[in-house]
Amino acid sequence: MLLILSQEHKEHLRLLSDLQVEVAREFCRISLEFILKGSNPKIYQTAAQKLGVQVNQVKQAVEGLVYLFNESSRLMIGEIDFQDSVMTLGFSEELNKLLLQLYLENRNEIRRLLGELSLELSHYHNLEWRFDVQLASRSLHHQTEPQILLKLHTKRQGDTDSQIFQTDPVNLVHLTSELENALAEMKTAHCRRIVRNIK
Amino acid sequence: MDINHDAQEGLQLCGESVRIPEKSFKKLVEITFDIILGKKDETSFDASNTLDSVNPGTLKEAYYGLVTLVIEAVKTDSSLTDISSYLEECKWDSDRIEYLNKVFSGTRPDIQALLSSTRTVFPHIVDVDWRLDYYVKNKYLDKVNKPTYLISLKTEESNKNGYSDVEFSCSMEQLQDLVGKLKDACKSLEKASQM
Amino acid sequence: MEEVDNIIIHTLRQIGCNLNESVLSLKEFTTDNVIEATSTCLRVINDANQFSRTLPPSMSARFRLGTGLAQACQELGFNGVIGYQTFLYPTEGDIRTLFMFLVERLPKESAEAADEPMGGAILLNRRIASELSKILAGTWIPPFCKRSGICWSGKDGKTWHREGVKGVHPFRSSPLKYPKGLGDLTRKISKDAKQYYDSSAMPLITSQPPSRHNISDSILEANSLKVSSDMEWENEWNHSGLASGLTPEEYKAKKQERLLKKLSKNIQAEVQKANVESSRLNKQDFNEMIREISEQNVSAGHEHVGSRFTRSEKLQFTQDEEKELAAVAAMTENAGAKIDTEEEIQARRKEEIDAMQGRLTELTSRLEGLEIDMRKFTATVEQAQEQTEFLQRKNKEEEDAYKVRKRTADLLPDASNNIAKLETVVESSSTRLITLAKQWEEHRKPLIEQYREMKALNSTRLSEAQKKIEQIRNLREKMKETVEEVRNRDDLLKDLVTEYQNMVKDVNRSAYTKRILEIVANIKKQKNDIDKV
Repeated sequence: MLLILSQEHKEHLRLLSDLQVEVAREFCRISLEFILKGSNPKIYQTAAQKLGVQVNQVKQAVEGLVYLFNESSRLMIGEIDFQDSVMTLGFSEELNKLLLQLYLENRNEIRRLLGELSLELSHYHNLEWRFDVQLASRSLHHQTEPQILLKLHTKRQGDTDSQIFQTDPVNLVHLTSELENALAEMKTAHCRRIVRNIK
Repeated sequence: MDINHDAQEGLQLCGESVRIPEKSFKKLVEITFDIILGKKDETSFDASNTLDSVNPGTLKEAYYGLVTLVIEAVKTDSSLTDISSYLEECKWDSDRIEYLNKVFSGTRPDIQALLSSTRTVFPHIVDVDWRLDYYVKNKYLDKVNKPTYLISLKTEESNKNGYSDVEFSCSMEQLQDLVGKLKDACKSLEKASQM
Repeated sequence: MEEVDNIIIHTLRQIGCNLNESVLSLKEFTTDNVIEATSTCLRVINDANQFSRTLPPSMSARFRLGTGLAQACQELGFNGVIGYQTFLYPTEGDIRTLFMFLVERLPKESAEAADEPMGGAILLNRRIASELSKILAGTWIPPFCKRSGICWSGKDGKTWHREGVKGVHPFRSSPLKYPKGLGDLTRKISKDAKQYYDSSAMPLITSQPPSRHNISDSILEANSLKVSSDMEWENEWNHSGLASGLTPEEYKAKKQERLLKKLSKNIQAEVQKANVESSRLNKQDFNEMIREISEQNVSAGHEHVGSRFTRSEKLQFTQDEEKELAAVAAMTENAGAKIDTEEEIQARRKEEIDAMQGRLTELTSRLEGLEIDMRKFTATVEQAQEQTEFLQRKNKEEEDAYKVRKRTADLLPDASNNIAKLETVVESSSTRLITLAKQWEEHRKPLIEQYREMKALNSTRLSEAQKKIEQIRNLREKMKETVEEVRNRDDLLKDLVTEYQNMVKDVNRSAYTKRILEIVANIKKQKNDIDKV
């Protein structure tokens, strides 16, 4: 799958093709920092002064790079596809290689960051359990009632939450076997076919 | 089994054939157990003709003694011999003791179950529901391609009718972790059962 | 020697020595075995003996271990020849005597404990295990199929376990009321109470709690409450009630009185304290307020009286207006005077009343003056009477004196004779006095003795009573202790019975007895042989 770049995007990135590779590398560094840590407008100012271009141009170039990295990470563009896509920008061979290298280096990190943005349900974090036997209560002495206390920790967007449940042996066994079935379901032919086909 | 003096007096009344004749006694025992188990309510006292011959105050005191005895005996899990010897002290004749023991041994488990329902509990897991999804993409990410489980624990709570659901999602690895821990618990139960 | 070896080896295995199955006699013991067995025995006998159970590789360490073991054995009281060589180079005879000694010294408890590990914990564990395996054997049933979260099982459907918490509720009790004392014919119950017990105003005990779930809670609570108060009362009665020598009712009444007195005293003291603090400011205000109020009351009373008077007056006037007017007219006509208006009549009446009042006060003052006079007179009369009495008494005394004097004067002429007569009279009277004293003494003696006897009897009876009270108290305590003991014994019996039922029949014991019998038979045989020789 190729990344289709709009004309406007290409315009914005054109500045890079006129620059030396070292300067372009600096641009790439700035844009990656932009993604990972946030923008820093001061740098645009100094860079524009040094290069003798308009601030806006610098800004557009950096943001263009950011968009490039982001989109290709989001779509999980492969190595060759990325190279082909970048080719259309008409950069030097050296700069293309640099972009590819940086893309491959940072792709996972960018995907992780994007993943944090996505819709998230509260999900399993940890389970603690304890086996108790109730031996007596205020209204009934002499009981022998096995109980299992479960403390379920769930997490949602970094917030952990915990709840306490109890259950009896029969229900515990049922719960376990039911969830084992659920796990086993992933290994069935049907599921595997789907996994294979959705790539 | 500790029975207070007032209730003991009620039980003594219960054993006096002058005040509570044989027939009324049997009816009283029957109704007492039915009321404790919630099968009948107090109106059956008025509905029964056999109890008319008993003075109402006496009946109330005897009933109080009987209810206290039954509930206290179940609470402390007293044996039938203990109960019998206690009732002998209350001057019951052997027929009455035998009759009570017969009814009592038949209903004891039910009363135990009834008394066991007085307690404080956490939400009790009674069932689980699950769903397997294949997570393909979202607004920010393409090709996520991961199996995701949506798990819903059905729980019962005290003083509540019906079930509550507790839902959470799990990745494959997380579910493996969860199942592993649950299996540990099951294993330890089995171990404990073989001691 | 085989039997001895068997017993020793069996015992050693029991205390945890790792002996090979093939070892059957002490002859087969290696140095390792000997060291291990000895150090284990020593450890069991005394926990402070911590020797290595394995043979160390270096020679000097072996030597040290051997010497240590030998010393420990000697400290235990072993008399035989012992040294490091006993352990490092064992001979059958030496180690047999050593082990016989050590096995004898093993604490009996540890052996028993090893034999019967049936403590409460084990029983509990077994109970849990059997319950668990029973529950785990069951199949899962959807929750909606279980009535109030309980799963019934067993052949007759009479055992149950909980698989859910439907219908579960927390413990909540409410106070209960019930008829009391109908069984005791000696106790009087008031008619009202009886009527109340019989009427529908006193509901049945199970219809009293607000919710049907809480019937058992309330009953349990009411029972334990009453049981503990009964117990407290009994304790108090045993400790201080019995000694007071009162009936329970009296004791209770007295206690109540005491408590009330104490309460009121405390309250009064507190109130006073509070008053003292705030009195200076408030007292005056308070007094003033009281005065104001009383004044108001007084004036209100006057007003009230006045108004009533005027009202009735008015009423009279309005009702009999015409008659009155006519009468007044007639009167005025008769008197030939001018017609008076009502005000004038009133004014005149007032004047009249004033005049009358003036006379009344005059009369009363006169009356008072007269009364005072009268009192004065009565007082003088009394005084005079007293004086007469006094004079009369004086007169009598003087008359007596005169009589005595007159007789002495009469006797004077025949003085000697009369003196002698007088002396005889004096003598006779003195002898009479003496006899009287003697008689008195005679009467007094037995009485005093009787009194003393009685007193002694009384005191012994009192001490006896106290002793008896003490005895009663002791007996009660003993009774309680015995009941407690009986209960404990019952529990123990129950435990032991279950334990006995669960116990595998002891093989060791039969082996032992068998061996002992064999030994006895052997000895008999030997004896016979000896006899033959």
